[in-house]
Amino acid sequence: MTRKPWMLATLIATISIGSVAFVQSQDQDTAASTEQVADTTIQPIAFPHNIHADTFGMDCQYCHFSAERSVDAGMPPVATCAGCHRFIPGEQHPEEVAKVIDYATRGEAIPWVRVYKVADHVTFPHMRHINAGLSCQECHGPVETMGSIEEHDPAWPGANMGMCVQCHVERGASRDCAVCHY
Amino acid sequence: MTNGIKRRDFLRVVGVSGAGAGLAGCATGEAEKLLPYVIPPDDITPGVATWYTTVCGECPAGCGVHARTREGRAVKLEGNPAHPISKGALCQRGHASLQGLYNPDRYPGPMLKEGGGFRAATWDEAESLLAERIQGAAGNVLLINGHTGPTLSALFDSFVAGVGGSRVEHEALSEAPLREAVRIAFGQDVLPHYAFAEARLIVSFGADFLETWLSPVEYGKDFARAAVVDAAGSKGRFVAVMPRLSLTGLNADEWLPIKPGAEAAVALAMAGHIVTSGLGDAGPYAGLLQDFTPAVAARLSGISAEAIEELAEQFVSEGPSVAVGPGVAGQHRNATAANLATLILNSVAGNVGRTVHVQGGWTGQKARPYSDMQEAIQRMASGRVGVVMVHGANPAYTLPTASGFGDAFGRVPFKVSFASAPDETAALADLILPDLHYLESWGDSNPRSGIHAIQHPVMRPVTMFDGKQAGDVMLSLSARLGRDLGSATFHDHLRTAWGQLRSDVSGASDADGAGDAWWRDVLRSGVLPEASAPAAAQDDASTSPSLRSSGSALTFGLPEIDGDGMDFTLLVYPSSRLYDGRFANRPWLIELPDPVTKLAWHGWVEMHPDAGDRLGVRNGDVVTVTSPHGSLEAPVYLYKGIRPEAVAISMGGGHTNMGRFADGHGVNPMVLLPAAVEQPSGALVQVATRVTVEPTGEWKRMATIEGSDDQLGRPIAPAVELAALSAVAGSAHAEEGGEAEVHHDELKELNLGGGFVPVPTEGRPEDFPLPGSRYGEYEEALSGPRWAMAIDLDKCTGCSACVTACQAENNVPWVGEEMVAMGRSMAWIRLERYYETIDATQAGPLDVRMLPMMRQHCGNAPCEPVCPVFAAYHTPEGLNAQVYNRCVGTRYCANNCPYKVRVFNWYTYTDVPAPMNWQYNPDVTVRVDGIMEKCTMCVQRVRDVQNQAALGGDRSIADGEIVTACQQTCPAEAITFGNIRDPESRVAQLVASERTYRVLDELINTQPGVSYLKKVTFHAVGSEAE
Repeated sequence: MTRKPWMLATLIATISIGSVAFVQSQDQDTAASTEQVADTTIQPIAFPHNIHADTFGMDCQYCHFSAERSVDAGMPPVATCAGCHRFIPGEQHPEEVAKVIDYATRGEAIPWVRVYKVADHVTFPHMRHINAGLSCQECHGPVETMGSIEEHDPAWPGANMGMCVQCHVERGASRDCAVCHY
Repeated sequence: MTNGIKRRDFLRVVGVSGAGAGLAGCATGEAEKLLPYVIPPDDITPGVATWYTTVCGECPAGCGVHARTREGRAVKLEGNPAHPISKGALCQRGHASLQGLYNPDRYPGPMLKEGGGFRAATWDEAESLLAERIQGAAGNVLLINGHTGPTLSALFDSFVAGVGGSRVEHEALSEAPLREAVRIAFGQDVLPHYAFAEARLIVSFGADFLETWLSPVEYGKDFARAAVVDAAGSKGRFVAVMPRLSLTGLNADEWLPIKPGAEAAVALAMAGHIVTSGLGDAGPYAGLLQDFTPAVAARLSGISAEAIEELAEQFVSEGPSVAVGPGVAGQHRNATAANLATLILNSVAGNVGRTVHVQGGWTGQKARPYSDMQEAIQRMASGRVGVVMVHGANPAYTLPTASGFGDAFGRVPFKVSFASAPDETAALADLILPDLHYLESWGDSNPRSGIHAIQHPVMRPVTMFDGKQAGDVMLSLSARLGRDLGSATFHDHLRTAWGQLRSDVSGASDADGAGDAWWRDVLRSGVLPEASAPAAAQDDASTSPSLRSSGSALTFGLPEIDGDGMDFTLLVYPSSRLYDGRFANRPWLIELPDPVTKLAWHGWVEMHPDAGDRLGVRNGDVVTVTSPHGSLEAPVYLYKGIRPEAVAISMGGGHTNMGRFADGHGVNPMVLLPAAVEQPSGALVQVATRVTVEPTGEWKRMATIEGSDDQLGRPIAPAVELAALSAVAGSAHAEEGGEAEVHHDELKELNLGGGFVPVPTEGRPEDFPLPGSRYGEYEEALSGPRWAMAIDLDKCTGCSACVTACQAENNVPWVGEEMVAMGRSMAWIRLERYYETIDATQAGPLDVRMLPMMRQHCGNAPCEPVCPVFAAYHTPEGLNAQVYNRCVGTRYCANNCPYKVRVFNWYTYTDVPAPMNWQYNPDVTVRVDGIMEKCTMCVQRVRDVQNQAALGGDRSIADGEIVTACQQTCPAEAITFGNIRDPESRVAQLVASERTYRVLDELINTQPGVSYLKKVTFHAVGSEAE
């Protein structure tokens, strides 16, 4: 191969490009980076948080009901949506509301696409943070101003442990690794 | 490049580089979906577990369990503390129920035999076909079933009575000889209940009461209570009188290695000696006892007459005592006589009513005689059965080939199996109506007088499998056949039966309007509250029955054994992991190392090292074992705990149609046995034949977790003599002071080498954190809890329930035989077993040490400083933690660990066939390859309690609130976990005991967080440091 040095050079280049590309793709795999999720997020129903949480002043925990009791904040059951929307056809987008009723009638779960996810190997207990007095907006951003959530709020700490640790340091919570990583 | 680039070369370059860039596409861009409930169930909060009370259905003991479910899936079973049998503990087979529930080999639905195999059918098709065949059979219906609850049993009876036919119950591990002996001796049709906790001397003639006999969880708990040193300095003693030491036998303090079959002679000689010493009354058996003097027994058993006499004297002087007869492992042709002899011995020593309870004993569930099956086989073979149905039994595997079951079964025109997963009998059937697993079914249990418990489904049936409860099938079939059995579903049937039970027991009836509330209470607590407490149902010394004379002619001498001229007596014993073979398709149980031999996955033949020398075989040499009835091949395991003229093979392996994990592993010793019936009980004879053993010349690498069975002089599992303990507080302190000085001298030398700062410690609460141990800069290290564990080796029996409990709780994977043979077993906790004193040729003391070894959470951990990425580190709470996402798989930590308790995921073992992944605990990370893992002291449970405490107004955590999985399940209550910095905590008090030590600590100064309490022996211990 040394007789044709450009072949060797090509091989080295291929391996370098390939491995860099591979490593870059791995990074995106494990840390929930903003760019990747945004590319593929399209919700089955265009649910507007701003109308529900701001205009109508609904509490986050009306829908995300287990946030103060459980590690998991909880997604609203279809019955919760249908509970109001059986009687409320919606003014601006009645065709989206009709989709909700359709799912409820068929007894099918609405396949929401996940936007907010902490990294693998982390246990995040919602109830501890709510109990400590944090508002949902501190991590999830001003959700009540958002229409359809297609990507994280830029302030979302879930993709970057540094932001979690910073808050823990500022508030005197434990910095022990095994509090979250087990 | 002077020649210029040719087009072909250019295309080649572009193509290859393009391929390199294409690797960027390796990332999966798929988004995750979040699926909410449609209508949320009231009792489920996502992320919070829901618990249900039920009864384990895996063996007839009937332990009450609490099932932990997450989002509608059962993920863990724990003993029900309020249940009188399990009292909060559970054995490894109970834990592995989950692998039966989620077994990928379960039938997908009803199966109809067509051509050479099975095809799927609908329930409607299957049931109408069966109804048609039953009508055609015109009264020749046979139902064979294993252990069931009383309501289902009664339903089977009504069904069979209605269609014309008969029912036979078949339990492979049957105590029929004991039941017959009780009938002869006391005129009652029951199995006695033994109060081990009250006994100061326990003598076992072979019964494995810590493994499979009668009620192993309950008896394990009671045994530990008896064996512990009480405040007066007295300790219960256990003497094993048996040819082969089972795990139960290994826990004995003394071993009389009698010849197989000599149990009756020894028991009678002991009873006779008690009578001639004027200490007891033989009643109607005086003449019999005169025939069996200690000299006669010595000749028959191979044990000296002095040892027998001494034991007899102790049996009275060290009272209350209890003697238990040979269990299934000792079932020879005189088994009834052997059990009767044991009952006579108990009666002569005055134990009946004190430690042996005839009234209030076990129902006959565990005592079905094989002779019933033999009769059924004859009927099937002669064409007198039109339809045969099998539920909860696998006679094609559990019966010896010589019984002829396979052929007879094949003769029946229409054969049905209710098996939920494949087994050898179902493979022969024409129609399979898969039953639901007990965790998905309704039922009840009545194992003993005064205990009525409900079996409650803990989740909807696993959606992948279309099963139906056998009770529902019976009701539906009856309806098709035009008979109304009173209820539409088995649940209703059960509810009615329990309404009746309630009125029978307490007079209250459902008509009083409180029926529904009462039923909800029953379902929540799991037991019938109005039933008389089991203790009240038992007899006591004044109400206990007295001995009656035996009408039948029994032989009390050595039994007849086939195979004259062959070398070894074959002992076939039940497996504490696989039972009679029914659990062989559960990887947790096959991979659980056998508690005696520490072998996993494959089968083996045990023989004494002397016999091995004579034959010229070593461990692993494959031999052919031949009896007059069959032969098999298995590797040899040289075992010091068996008489040199016997060999032993465990039941449970050698399946041919049980599933992907079971098939091809192990050997089935039933092929070596004749179909011999013991008279008068009708039991199947297990010690029936002699065998020859011939080396084949091949060698098998055995899958064992054991490095060595010898401590090699290291203080790994030291013991202390009882006499040394009873020394009063004063001298104990002086001893401690002396030790501490020695400690300091040794450690000063370590310091000279420039090593870490050595710190002597007795582990007192005020010692923590220890200077020189690694805590980082956390301030919490100075004030928060320091988690530690104390394990009492005097209580630990080596049963290994903790291993399976840990596996269930922490998503610990199984790895397969090849990996175990390579030393890559992933268990976070293992039971080490060391022989100190064991002699198979004469009566003498027995000293076998059991040591549960898990990650020690060392204060001065050798694994922490060597991790290049800080994945292994010490938390301020004293745990040695592993941060899975930091781990890069250097494996230096495992290399450095002196206890070898770190395990590495060489492959992604956690990719398991569906639906086994439904069992995974959502609170614990599921690890992939390249990650090191080890015991975390159930940190998820610690965090859970800490979260609850924080939510509950920042209250403090009570001692005993956090319970690790191993601690929770241990029947012997050997493990204690808690905050060692709290002087009031149980763990701090245990660590202050004079028996406390830490493994290898004074040699290597690792300062483990797990302290052990030395086993207490009755004889002087050897020459370890202590």
